[in-house]
Amino acid sequence: MYKKLAFLFLVIVLTLPLFTGCGGDDEEGPIKIGLQGPMTGDYAYEGQGFEKAVKLLVEQTNEAGGLLGRDIELVIEDDAGDPTQAALVAQRLVDADIVAAIGAYNSTATEPASEIYNDAGLLHVTPSSTATGLTQKGFERFFRVCFLDDRQGLFAAQFMKDVLGAQNVGILHDNSTYAQGLAEHTKRYSEDMGLNVAFYDAINPDDQDFTPILTNIGGAGLDAIYFTGYHAQAGLLLKQAADLGLDMTWVTGNASNNPEMIQIAGLQNAVGTYVTTEPLPKDVDYPEARKFVSDFEAKYGESPDSVWWMMAAEAFNVIRYAIEETESTDSKVLAEFLHNEAKDINGLTGPILGWDEKGDREGTIHVAYIIDANGNFVLNPEQP
Amino acid sequence: MQFVQQMINGITIGAFYSLVALGYTMVYGVLKLINFAHGDLFMWGAYLGLTGLNFVLGLMTGASAWVILPAVVVVMTTVALAGVVVERVAYRPLRSAGRLAPVISALGVAFILQSLARNIYGANWKTYPTGITPTGGFQLAQGVRVSVMQIIVLVVSFVLMGALYLFVQRTRTGTAMRAVSLDHDTSRLMGIDVNRIIGVVFLIGPGLGGVAGMIVALYYGSFDFTLGWVFGLKAFIAAILGGIGNIPGAMLGGMLLGIIETLGSGYLSPQWKDVIAYVILILILIFRPTGLLGERVAEKV
Repeated sequence: MYKKLAFLFLVIVLTLPLFTGCGGDDEEGPIKIGLQGPMTGDYAYEGQGFEKAVKLLVEQTNEAGGLLGRDIELVIEDDAGDPTQAALVAQRLVDADIVAAIGAYNSTATEPASEIYNDAGLLHVTPSSTATGLTQKGFERFFRVCFLDDRQGLFAAQFMKDVLGAQNVGILHDNSTYAQGLAEHTKRYSEDMGLNVAFYDAINPDDQDFTPILTNIGGAGLDAIYFTGYHAQAGLLLKQAADLGLDMTWVTGNASNNPEMIQIAGLQNAVGTYVTTEPLPKDVDYPEARKFVSDFEAKYGESPDSVWWMMAAEAFNVIRYAIEETESTDSKVLAEFLHNEAKDINGLTGPILGWDEKGDREGTIHVAYIIDANGNFVLNPEQP
Repeated sequence: MQFVQQMINGITIGAFYSLVALGYTMVYGVLKLINFAHGDLFMWGAYLGLTGLNFVLGLMTGASAWVILPAVVVVMTTVALAGVVVERVAYRPLRSAGRLAPVISALGVAFILQSLARNIYGANWKTYPTGITPTGGFQLAQGVRVSVMQIIVLVVSFVLMGALYLFVQRTRTGTAMRAVSLDHDTSRLMGIDVNRIIGVVFLIGPGLGGVAGMIVALYYGSFDFTLGWVFGLKAFIAAILGGIGNIPGAMLGGMLLGIIETLGSGYLSPQWKDVIAYVILILILIFRPTGLLGERVAEKV
């Protein structure tokens, strides 16, 4: 009998939290803002950068007196880039009574998280998830500060055709939501422009060895190949392609916009690789951006090398701006403000023209970089 | 010609699987335990190799291939000792606790080792210093290329596997090992110190695994803390495929898995290679449940 009672007690204790903690912002105490990202796992470099970038701004805001007279409290959760984990930590952030959420890094993780934030009616801004489908679900409080994959796909196709003069192109992705989306858009635009997509396939990003597919790529007679996956695999691909003696131009997408790619590939194998991306922090010539970069360097002793760290900071700034302007922490008010009234803001990553009705940032800022002999990403002199 | 190149690719991957599979198979042989921590000991080999190399490179001017030797010695001894410690702390106290408890304990050790690596070395990809491994290769034909590193990897792998095989077949300790793998109690009656032999197995298996980790890292140039998971799982499967507990079986299984996977991704797509590889694996196990070279153990009552 007592066993049954103990079990009942356990059930009650375990389900209690379900009935509490749904109170929302109580307009007292700190304003809680959630940040979820891959603090561990394959994309940990980016997740940890998110944390640094946003923490810096939160500290600066609090030192300057906070927001609406209240401090900001940053609640950080690690989703490891994993969709299951992402849903879990999103729920945890909702339970922690945040007023808005920033994250996740990869589209695969952002997708389930956005469902949960939407159900909870929270403002959700992703710094870096560019899969087109994310804003096609009619979520009225979901925004992104990065740009859509289809714009980058268009840019990549134009770049390969006009700047590289390629005829036969290959496209390689890694089966992640983001990379596959970008690959499909690039394929569509390439074919529309009359390019011949002679190779289209995907790698398994858990692999360490890509020589089997590289051998096929070598046999396909390509002028250029566009890899839409992440930087670690891009580095391994470049190295192994060189080991196999392949001779073709590599173009990579914005997930490879990371100096670690060069390290992994080895400098001699990475030189001459093109990267289509948003401009790097150092090439963004706005006072706000320059100040952020120098503050970041002063605090952490390193520069914000990844554009996604800047985007995370941008996401926070957008939320802060909306709260300041509307003097509200109600997600509905904030979202309506961003949709309708927020225009021509001086962002850290360039001017923010505004957001369309789906929550996509308007305009585009994509450029092509080339890796020079010293291993630096420099703006390619020729842009489409 | 692409086929020849794909075979070269597959044999290289297979050699890595074989080297790691040896560790699983040896431990299973003597303890009937699947040592899931082996993949992560292998991963630690890659990290310790990096530390060792950087340390040796810091002592001298200019890079040369010779710095690899002291680093290998460091890796081999450290990982081997770690293996012994793992056995002593996590497996021996559970030896009489049935089959399940040690497996869970092994999984626990695997997670601990992985988290330790991540917390100590960081989550980002690590790159080995450049200029110490020979570059270049031979163009055998149009579209067929073998790199110097591939040749070295293959030679080193076969030498290590051959040495291990001879050790187990020809030496007294090796004979004792084979005896222990048949029956602990009878071995003890024959005057074999079973704990000592198990200790030796946990020196050699992880030691080899550690060196394999360093070779993988030297070959690919970079890795992160998940390295042990991917290679560990594949090598474990290779060991089963070849017949777990059987050393030539581990070599054969590794090679076979590497080649099947490579042909699968080369001729269909990397997205399908695991499907193909595991369909073949299941078929083999249906017809030979003990693996390709696994011995049929007749239960005598």
